Amino acid sequence: MNERIREGLYHALLWLVSLVFFAPVFWIVLSSFKTGPQILAVPPILFFRPTFDNYAKLFADPAFEHHFFNSIALSVLAVLIAVAVSFLAAFAFSRFRPAATNFLMFLLLSIRMLPGSAAILPVYLMYVAFGWKDSFVAMTLFYAMFSIPFSVWILKGFIDGVSPRFDETGIVNGASWFGIIARLTLPQVYPGVVAALIFNFIFVWNEFLFNYIIGGINTSNIPVLLATNLSQGGGIDWTFLSSLTTIYIVPPILVVYLFQRYLLVGMTFGTVRGEV
Amino acid sequence: MSRIRFEGISKSYRDAIALDRIDLDIEPAGLTAVCGPPGCGKSVLMRILIGLEAPSAGRILFDGEDIAQMPAAERSIGYVPQSFALFPHMSVFDNIAYPMALQAVPRSEIAARVDQAAGILHIRPLLAKRPSQLSGGEKQRAAIARGILKNADIFILDDPLVGLDFKLRESLMEDLKDMRAELGATFLYVTSDPLEALTMAEHLVVMDRGRLVEAGPVDTVYYDPSWLRTIELVGFPRCNVLPAHLDATNAMCTTAIGRLPIALENGAASADAMVAIRPEHITSPASGTAPLGIGKVTLVENLGSESVVYVQLDETTLVTTVPARALASLDLGDPFPLAMRPGGPIVFDRASGRRIGRVTGAPGEFRDG
Repeated sequence: MNERIREGLYHALLWLVSLVFFAPVFWIVLSSFKTGPQILAVPPILFFRPTFDNYAKLFADPAFEHHFFNSIALSVLAVLIAVAVSFLAAFAFSRFRPAATNFLMFLLLSIRMLPGSAAILPVYLMYVAFGWKDSFVAMTLFYAMFSIPFSVWILKGFIDGVSPRFDETGIVNGASWFGIIARLTLPQVYPGVVAALIFNFIFVWNEFLFNYIIGGINTSNIPVLLATNLSQGGGIDWTFLSSLTTIYIVPPILVVYLFQRYLLVGMTFGTVRGEV
Repeated sequence: MSRIRFEGISKSYRDAIALDRIDLDIEPAGLTAVCGPPGCGKSVLMRILIGLEAPSAGRILFDGEDIAQMPAAERSIGYVPQSFALFPHMSVFDNIAYPMALQAVPRSEIAARVDQAAGILHIRPLLAKRPSQLSGGEKQRAAIARGILKNADIFILDDPLVGLDFKLRESLMEDLKDMRAELGATFLYVTSDPLEALTMAEHLVVMDRGRLVEAGPVDTVYYDPSWLRTIELVGFPRCNVLPAHLDATNAMCTTAIGRLPIALENGAASADAMVAIRPEHITSPASGTAPLGIGKVTLVENLGSESVVYVQLDETTLVTTVPARALASLDLGDPFPLAMRPGGPIVFDRASGRRIGRVTGAPGEFRDG
């Protein structure tokens, strides 16, 4: 009995904390169906007749389509490039262990130890010098570059868990390195690959600072649109903000929902794996 | 049939020598066991033969051709690694078919040969399963099936029975022997268990600390070894090794259990020697044996069908084996009459460990007389 009460308390606490985290999301979604005055009403209105005007206005705005496309294209392309490169790098680090592997792994991650605002100056100067500012390809490559270190770390942990005996079985039977990587290693670490894809997707999807500084009209994504179009007509446009934000959170929620079982494996880094 | 010859194979890692100038011929079309204590370099030697590691020095000759630089896939060697390494994302069938799938063998032929190998190893009902659904013994059989499906003249099995329970080991040992006879190929069998090596093999290669100790037919290596280290490493229970003082002129040597008549084989030898007496050469007194005296039982290890008995005779503890039924009344401290079968024990030079002769008689007449 005592045990059951304790369990009930734990569950109540978990629900409470989860609801606290979810409350702002809930509020922004709710607000997207309100009119401007309803959003700002005091006390807050919980029950009202929903309006779809905000979405109609948003979808009619050509800027929305442009930025939504940029967000999707940048995230998907950058993440695919980053994970492909990272997988090969992680395989090399894991299997061939170049001299000072641990130090190299540290160097790789060091760019992510700075806050973005500290790294922005050299990156900005470089992009200006190369004429890459506001280039879609250069923006994609920047996101790929920024996603690689963390991906290499995740994937190396997974590949370390795959016994080199598998590679050797391939080598003895005449498999190429590509065959070993694609047919023997990759299928055993796909939870790690999916986890890397999701983590990086969320990072690129949410990225504002670099897009704002080294990007331009060709590359700007939804976070930049949110920030720059916020104050129109002398005040903050809350209907625009709430409807765009609601659309904006759909792709990451879909991605996480579809792949959440891999995400959980990825968070444990999959380092404990037995040989079969 | 490929003849394998190692010539001066050495392998060193950054700070350790794993193999030290190995010269070795492998008998073709036989089952050769490579045995030695863990870390003796037997696996490294096999990995060099397979092509997974390059030797630091030396040559490997296949029918006279040096293959030290040849890629592993071209060497005509099938390999069953120690940890099975069955691909967890493939079915047992696909695992076994893997070597042939890589060589683009037609699907129908793959199916036929997988079926044949699965039949030999009694795993036909398991082909559709995943490796994670198999028991240890079944995994091992699947790994062996995959190993033998490479078209090869030589097959290397790295400690294939390790970690399996006794019954599985026995049945797998039988199957491996049958399989070798059927394939007619050269089998190399790596193990750290000398008993397993003796049971399985026709030829024995004994290694210790990166060096080759001795190689030859099983009977020769067991009964007629040339080196003391061989007799220490091969055989169970452990061999009785006694320090001895050699009297070459009278062909006698003096040990703690008496003076033994010997036949020297290699001319002059130093006076410091060792006599190695296998447990089976020490028995209870019977016709054809020479009495050693009456000792005292200090330890009995029951192995089921027989027991290992440690008997203290004066200052020396001798190990012997006794059939279990003869043992009913044996307690610690009991008197135990000992005798020796002449002809078995071997005399080695103490400094070099090289064999110098054989014990021809028994000490009885000198001891009590």
